[in-house]
Amino acid sequence: MIDLELTVNGELARVRVEPGARLLDVLRGPLGLPGTKEGCGNGECGACTVLVAGRPVCACLTPAAEVEGLEVLTVEGLVGPGGDLSAVQRAFVEGGGVQCGFCTPGMVMSVHALLERNPDPTPEDVREALTGNLCRCTGYAQIVESALLAARKRREAREGGDRA
Amino acid sequence: MSEEVRMPASPEYHRPRSLEEAWRLLEAQPDARLVAGGTDVLVRLREGRYHPPALVSLRRVESLRRIEPGRAWTIGAGVSVAELLEHRELAAVFPVLVEAGRRLGSAQIRSAATVGGNLCNASPCADLAPPLLVLEARALIASAAGEREVPLSEFFLGPRRTALGPGELLSALRVEAPPAGARATFLKQGRVRMDIALASVAVRLELEGARCVEARVAAGSLAPTPTRLGEVEASLAGTELDEATLARARAAAEREVRPITDVRASADYRRHLAGALVVRAVRALTRPEAR
Ligand SMILES: Cc1cc2nc3c(=O)[nH]c(=O)nc-3n(C[C@H](O)[C@H](O)[C@H](O)COP(=O)(O)OP(=O)(O)OC[C@H]3O[C@@H](n4cnc5c(N)ncnc54)[C@H](O)[C@@H]3O)c2cc1C
Repeated sequence: MIDLELTVNGELARVRVEPGARLLDVLRGPLGLPGTKEGCGNGECGACTVLVAGRPVCACLTPAAEVEGLEVLTVEGLVGPGGDLSAVQRAFVEGGGVQCGFCTPGMVMSVHALLERNPDPTPEDVREALTGNLCRCTGYAQIVESALLAARKRREAREGGDRA
Repeated sequence: MSEEVRMPASPEYHRPRSLEEAWRLLEAQPDARLVAGGTDVLVRLREGRYHPPALVSLRRVESLRRIEPGRAWTIGAGVSVAELLEHRELAAVFPVLVEAGRRLGSAQIRSAATVGGNLCNASPCADLAPPLLVLEARALIASAAGEREVPLSEFFLGPRRTALGPGELLSALRVEAPPAGARATFLKQGRVRMDIALASVAVRLELEGARCVEARVAAGSLAPTPTRLGEVEASLAGTELDEATLARARAAAEREVRPITDVRASADYRRHLAGALVVRAVRALTRPEAR
């Protein structure tokens, strides 16, 4: 067993894990953050997408030991202090980008990562950013629309002066 | 807060900070497996394809993560595909690497996947291999005993077999900046956007006016290793790349590749793709707007 100090959603957490433990299991287990889902476990479906140092990764293919010293952001970390959903989360609700919901946290994290880098993406940019996120309910159309809606909301919020 | 989580038998996990430390670990545990981005290793571990007693992670070895411009560029084996794509200067000199990198996996995979892992996997489908082959990259191989350099074309020995010996690792690639008249492109055919290549082709042409003075062609998923296609190159070099030449290049490609049939595609279809991709690549490189 090894002791790790992880920074998840801005909070420092100490965990004792098997040496090769996956970030996914550490998040869902000891850290009590079940928003990150396990789909395929092979990096294909993107349900476990989280951000590490600002980049989207599959938590199922990330050894927890590798994120020591790096910022980890999960879907729980997008929620504001008062429990407010982030612009991306709200856009998925309003835009109908959620059906069964299993892929949603991963989708939301991929869109969040995209918008942090590219605040004004084209539909093609969105589809490209979501190639690693599978949804088995929808035809993706409302997911892409939700992402574009999120981009609009964030731009408006920025122009309005408050933070999205 | 200190909590415990138990995983199914997981090997030791080492995080050396220098190559020296990595070599010491490899010497102590010769059966340990190196892991970089882990996008291949962790999938294989989970599938039970191998059971190494330890993993030696290269992620904290800073010297593997350098990108150094020059007449010959040095690209560290530990550079992630995402980092490669974001390096503007590199992208300007080697646009073909960007084309290939963009087609590798998804954003999530590119964040983790490294250049070195892509090559050391020695998979016939490795997307960075064909462009690096036409760039005539050299592999820098390092061990406790010192460093040696081999042409990338001699690095791949077979599926999952490389020229790396015990205690050796890939430290970097050396890639010469192409001359002004050279241009290259990478084309990949998958079933869907995110898929490993059914077939891929990189073509680099050096043109003087309409005349092709040099052609380099490499293929992925079309032989046991990523490979140069010498007959196709010969069919293009010294010509004006007219329709008759393209027909000969297509036929040469179909003849020269050695594809297999698997769950993704039949050997026949791959052979057909080889010819089609070569022709498509040459046309793309000689379109007026490409000049
Ligand atoms: C969902 C998914 C999609 C994928 N899509 C593609 C794709 O489209 N195209 C493609 O080419 N690949 C694809 N891959 C395969 C893989 O992601 C890439 O080959 C990637 O570049 C491997 O790099 P890595 O750093 O993750 O390698 P790792 O898994 O860390 O290592 C791979 C192998 O290389 C060895 N190794 C790593 N670094 C070194 C080194 N410096 N010296 C010596 N040995 C070393 C390891 O021991 C291991 O044997 C995909 C994988 C997944 C899971």
